[in-house]
Amino acid sequence: MGGAPVKENAVRWLTALLLAAGLLSPVSASAFATDVKVIANASVKADIISAPELRRIFLQQSSSLDNGTRVEPVIEKDGLVHKAFVQEYLGRTQEDLQTYYRALVFTGRGSMPKVLGSDAEVVSYVAATRGAIGYVSSDSDTTVDGVKTLLVIPAGNTAERKLVRSVEPKYPEMLQRLGIGGTVRLALTVAPKGNVENVALLGGNPILAESAIVAVKQWIYTVGRTRSTLEVSVPFDPRR
Amino acid sequence: MRRRIVELVIVCFWASQAVLHAQEFKVLGRTVQVHGFVSQGFIYTNDNNWLTMNTSQGSAAFTDFGLNMSSHLTDKLLVGAQVYDRNLGQLGQYHPSLDWAVVDCRLKSWFGVRGGKVKTTLGLYNDTQDLDFLRPFALLPQSVYPTDVRDATIAHLGGDIYGTISLKHHLGDFSYTAYVGHRSDSIYSGFAYLASQFDVYYSSYGGLQYGGDLRWNTPLKGLLIGASRIDQDLTGKAKFISPYNPAGGFVPYSDNSRADWANQFYGEYIAGKLRIDSEYRRFLHSDVVNGGILYTSDDVRAWYVSGAYRVAKRLVIGSYYSRYVITTAAGGPLAALFPAQTDTSLPANHVYDKVITGRVDLNRFWNVKVEGHFMDGYGDSLYPDGFYPQQNSQGFKPNTNALVVKTSFNF
Repeated sequence: MGGAPVKENAVRWLTALLLAAGLLSPVSASAFATDVKVIANASVKADIISAPELRRIFLQQSSSLDNGTRVEPVIEKDGLVHKAFVQEYLGRTQEDLQTYYRALVFTGRGSMPKVLGSDAEVVSYVAATRGAIGYVSSDSDTTVDGVKTLLVIPAGNTAERKLVRSVEPKYPEMLQRLGIGGTVRLALTVAPKGNVENVALLGGNPILAESAIVAVKQWIYTVGRTRSTLEVSVPFDPRR
Repeated sequence: MRRRIVELVIVCFWASQAVLHAQEFKVLGRTVQVHGFVSQGFIYTNDNNWLTMNTSQGSAAFTDFGLNMSSHLTDKLLVGAQVYDRNLGQLGQYHPSLDWAVVDCRLKSWFGVRGGKVKTTLGLYNDTQDLDFLRPFALLPQSVYPTDVRDATIAHLGGDIYGTISLKHHLGDFSYTAYVGHRSDSIYSGFAYLASQFDVYYSSYGGLQYGGDLRWNTPLKGLLIGASRIDQDLTGKAKFISPYNPAGGFVPYSDNSRADWANQFYGEYIAGKLRIDSEYRRFLHSDVVNGGILYTSDDVRAWYVSGAYRVAKRLVIGSYYSRYVITTAAGGPLAALFPAQTDTSLPANHVYDKVITGRVDLNRFWNVKVEGHFMDGYGDSLYPDGFYPQQNSQGFKPNTNALVVKTSFNF
């Protein structure tokens, strides 16, 4: 009588255990520890941002996105998320970034960005501030009115190949229910016609990756003269 | 001395608590940021006195501070100003100056305009040379960034255009700056102090300054290379006592540059906690005094190689080798007073400086540096290069070792 639900629960927990074990393997652990997602105030007219564009914004070389939307960067004071973001997207250490901002401030070429102490503070500031753009841990709760997650396309020849159609990946129901999320990193080969020819997994949860790959294969880029290779990061937020 | 150090420590502790709260405020709905810094150094040398201080006795006449305010009036428009003051031996003498005061409009990432009194972009560190808290070293390589003549290149009253252009095909990005303006030296600068040994007392020194900088963030992560050029057309007004008629008292004096330019080439490589950089500067200055009674020409070639490594979160160690050589020539009726100097192997015509340093960050705002300089040569007395006859009346010795201790606080 009650055997079926018990068995179902056991399978679910076993699956969760295996997934957790997978996430705790040495490779995944480091990926998990440094996963960040970029968030922006809902007023920001973009769902996708390229890594070079993100870099220009946070290094104060530009105060607006390529599409003209005004943005205001907000950074975290310190911590693993800050370290990961600064290294991955700005190519600097935390100390170098601090030095960079101070050089701007003391030569009249910029100002200190807003500095906040935690993911929660960043989320609430971004939610309340028009044009704000920040970063938080990929497992932070960003299901807040006025906040959206931006898809970051890492450095590549994005100037030549703009994404013109994207398809949202389907979140595996069980992982979402178990609150398992993360960011999947993929390398795409884009044909001259703009379709995605090939996808290679660079990092992230393998089950989430399956879903991401299915979606990404349906993406369409602008036409190019040659075949291009791009890297993309696809975030999965279980609370969305 | 001890009392001064205790006072500084108390001020730093107090300030580090205070600044955690009051770095910005609102005016008419706009956020105004306030930032400042203060540094205090001590130098002891074994032989020659250095940087216009009596360093052979140990000198703490090595203080500077700055305070700035800035605000974004719009997302593209930044306004701000900074006051700077210093006392370096006989230089500065606590006469505050407007360090920069700018209106900066960045229209696009590839194009912006700034005007006012603007920090001059020249090489890696010219515009930040006063900000020692940005670097591991207490003193920048004096061959390329002589602190006694900071006024010569630190800022211009004029305007810049600037921007960063991303290159296609993963070729990195180019940043450019072009500027034109007016340079105005303090009468408490190294040039004026140097001239006072010849009984020449400046009331003004400055003129047109223009140039540009181009730097390439290469596709190799962490590698930057660049080049800068500066040209100047300078005039000095002074009074002096003629060596041929000292009883005649002060008479008017003027000098005008015939050529004044510098080319600078540089590279920087950052890999994680390691930073390596190197620069080369060629500087040529020639001028004519009082319409032709004397022509002088100074030709400086300087370079350095520097490396620093952050061995722990709060500890950085570093070292550099800095090399400076100068040749001089003179012409006109008074040329006999200034014989040509062309042999750069003589200690009078070079300074070779080997430096080691350690920097400890006590917290995010406050650091302490201890630095050793091992110098060969003392340069030439016709150009400011750290060693002045006024402090070395007994004559120069060929080598100088220096211990520099410096602490700085910023918020």
